[in-house]
Amino acid sequence: MTAGTAALAFTLPAPSGPLVLYAGVVLLVLLAGAARAARTAALLSLTIWGFLWLLHVVLPGGRGPEAALAQGARIGAIATASVYLLHTFDPSAFLDAFAARGWPFAPAYFMVATMQAAPRLRARASGILEAQRARGLRVGRSPLARIRAIVPLTLPLLLGTIAEVDDRALALESRGLGGRRSSRRTPLAPSPFRSIDEALCWGTALAVAAALAVRLA
Amino acid sequence: MPTRLLALIPSAVAINLAMGFVVNQLGLPVYLDTLGTVLAAGLAGPVAGLLTGLVSQMVRSLYEGFVWFPFVTIQLLIALVAALARRTAGFATAARAVAWGVLAGIACGAASAAISYTVFEGVTATGVTAITGILSALGLARAGAVFVASIATDIGDKLLVFAMAGVALRSLPRRLAARYR
Repeated sequence: MTAGTAALAFTLPAPSGPLVLYAGVVLLVLLAGAARAARTAALLSLTIWGFLWLLHVVLPGGRGPEAALAQGARIGAIATASVYLLHTFDPSAFLDAFAARGWPFAPAYFMVATMQAAPRLRARASGILEAQRARGLRVGRSPLARIRAIVPLTLPLLLGTIAEVDDRALALESRGLGGRRSSRRTPLAPSPFRSIDEALCWGTALAVAAALAVRLA
Repeated sequence: MPTRLLALIPSAVAINLAMGFVVNQLGLPVYLDTLGTVLAAGLAGPVAGLLTGLVSQMVRSLYEGFVWFPFVTIQLLIALVAALARRTAGFATAARAVAWGVLAGIACGAASAAISYTVFEGVTATGVTAITGILSALGLARAGAVFVASIATDIGDKLLVFAMAGVALRSLPRRLAARYR
């Protein structure tokens, strides 16, 4: 659905097409009870709306308010659909869905493992920053001093992360993953792909095809 | 896929994502969000770099919106440049790493400008857009402003990324680095 929204945003005729799409996506997200997702996406797009207005309307060489509105609506629609996707994303259901269809394990694992590792690494970066400050690191206002501070902050993070890879590789191997003859996984609780999900997917695909046909005609 | 690669890629992607935090804390006008990609390519070769770049952009898109997914091209391009640098011992000294960083900055800046101008009409909500705005206000044509802003910011960013990846790769214990060859 998110991919479909992105495709429609760039194929529907501007400016009315992207504006109607944005309104439709926001409406669907609100009906799904995810007003927070719509609000977050609107906040994410706010800077872009400002820059679009500045570059297309205020400054010379712009393409006018219509172009700014169309591009802002495109970005708003895609951002809303993406934030809603994150809002409903369940990592274990995602892994199970991959396993249930017999798809390769690696792509799903990369996504889920990264989403789990990212907050951990951010926390570690914060810890390193505090430790280096306790040891006398002063960032200061000079750009050069800030650039110099990258090494003591980043190097321990990079080396520590690489050193951990072996432990994780061993853990994966002990669970029968990786290698050339990785065994086929079975899902613990496969999430059902309901007929409404199927209808929404096909409906979006048809809408994209129709928009593309109209655009090319 | 070898388990070591299976374990390395999510860690490298997480480095890309965590660098945003470090940069914010230092208040630097760069991204450094390709450091994990360069490190993976410099350590384990092009496949690791390309996969790290692809997954980075997928996960980032999930957090920040699939609007920015076209910039996956930059991640893939930098992975290829880093793999080439690895092949020619480009990380062996600081000077070589910086030179490869400048080269990567020019290549990525040009690609980034093309994507920014054709897909996003020059507006990508970053510091680059602010520079584009200033250059436009000074009378430079929009395409030229986007190109100059992208190249200028990317050279600085990639230079730091390659220099930092070089420091990390040279600091790794030989036995650890040898496991990826």
